[in-house]
Amino acid sequence: MIDLTLLGQLLPVFGTAALRTVALVAAGLAGGLALGFLMHLLRETRVAALAWIYWAYTAIWRGVPFLIHLFIVYFGLPAVGISMDPFVAAAVTLSVYGGAYFAEIFRACWQTIPRGQIEAARCMGLTRRQVFLRIECPQALRASVPLIVNQTILLMKESALASVITYPELTMTAGKVVSEQFVYIEPYLLLALSYWALSLLINRLGRLLARRVAL
Amino acid sequence: MNADTFADRLAAYLPVLLHGAGMTLIVAALAIVAGFALGAALLGLSLHRQGRGPLARAVALYVSFFRGTPLLVQLLMLFYLPSAFGVDLPPLLVAVLAMSLNSGAFQSEILRAGLAAVPKGQIEAAAIFGLSPQQVFRYVQLPQVARAVWPALVSEAIDVVKNSSIVSVIAVAELARGGRQIVAANFRPLEVYLTVGATYLLMTGAIFALGAWLGKRMGQGRRASAAVMNRIAINKT
Repeated sequence: MIDLTLLGQLLPVFGTAALRTVALVAAGLAGGLALGFLMHLLRETRVAALAWIYWAYTAIWRGVPFLIHLFIVYFGLPAVGISMDPFVAAAVTLSVYGGAYFAEIFRACWQTIPRGQIEAARCMGLTRRQVFLRIECPQALRASVPLIVNQTILLMKESALASVITYPELTMTAGKVVSEQFVYIEPYLLLALSYWALSLLINRLGRLLARRVAL
Repeated sequence: MNADTFADRLAAYLPVLLHGAGMTLIVAALAIVAGFALGAALLGLSLHRQGRGPLARAVALYVSFFRGTPLLVQLLMLFYLPSAFGVDLPPLLVAVLAMSLNSGAFQSEILRAGLAAVPKGQIEAAAIFGLSPQQVFRYVQLPQVARAVWPALVSEAIDVVKNSSIVSVIAVAELARGGRQIVAANFRPLEVYLTVGATYLLMTGAIFALGAWLGKRMGQGRRASAAVMNRIAINKT
């Protein structure tokens, strides 16, 4: 039922496509972590206007499907003169979408630090900045690792939607094979297995990382 | 659709978007309910023989697959693979089926985490007091599990509504599809997709608010729900 020769032929094609998926997720992860942390910093300033930006950003980006954000960025923004190629559009959308979730992860992890520690450090004469860098960051960032890993897997799954705006990652590649060669089982089997393997791989790497950074 | 002001155009979009939003809510509601039933059944199966038999392993494999691959891929497989064998399923059925199978995997893990949040000592104590296993479940576990899993289930419901936009790919006439149809006719992608986004935001916001209100009425156990949220957040895939 499964054509092994065809499977062998498709393997390199899917390998290239998987690398594109990985590149897209890596870009989205890097951008998302940076933006999420920046947003978290805004909130930590305790300035009302900045906290409001944080709130609006996380609420809006988490309350609307990734696909719609992608449509706004890729099809909508050219109307105001901002055109991006499919990879950049998908990477930007993934970053801003992921950033909203990463910001919430940082917020949750910062909340796990007992207030008493921060008060004690302030009493001992540490500045607000020192408290942030030496007391809060080391603990909260460690705690955030498993949550970030999980969110990375979610981003990897969202990245499949980049196929809709014609970025030739795994899902679009499978669709192309199906429409050109009229075979269904082999490409979809490879497609599902590729994503499954990537998920398990991210999970495994994440656990190693979590163990390394654990106190 | 060539009206002058945005308000005029919005009036023209509204029937299409409302129709789409209705379909989105129907598809999502069916998937949430069927996903809950499936999730409970999967959890039941996996608890068989203290979670050590082949059934538990099969459930674990199912959950890992459906949480480890994109919904889009699951949808495409369910849509195209049967047609490779000459069986054509209607897109709406495929959409609800794929979303239910997907949500079932997530909901089974939410329920599992909720069950784990009830301290073992309570169950032993109830058994010593002479309660049957059914009574322990009904009067000791169920009320606590329900309160503990509620926020996680609300969050899953929001995810299902958002995920339902993906079924537009197989031409189910829901909200995202409605947006694409309007854009195809008037070439104003920015305002149309922003309006579609706002409509999704209204729906997910309403579910969030309703969920929080009901949760408060149920007298949420904050610590237990936080434990559930943590557990499912870390154990995904």
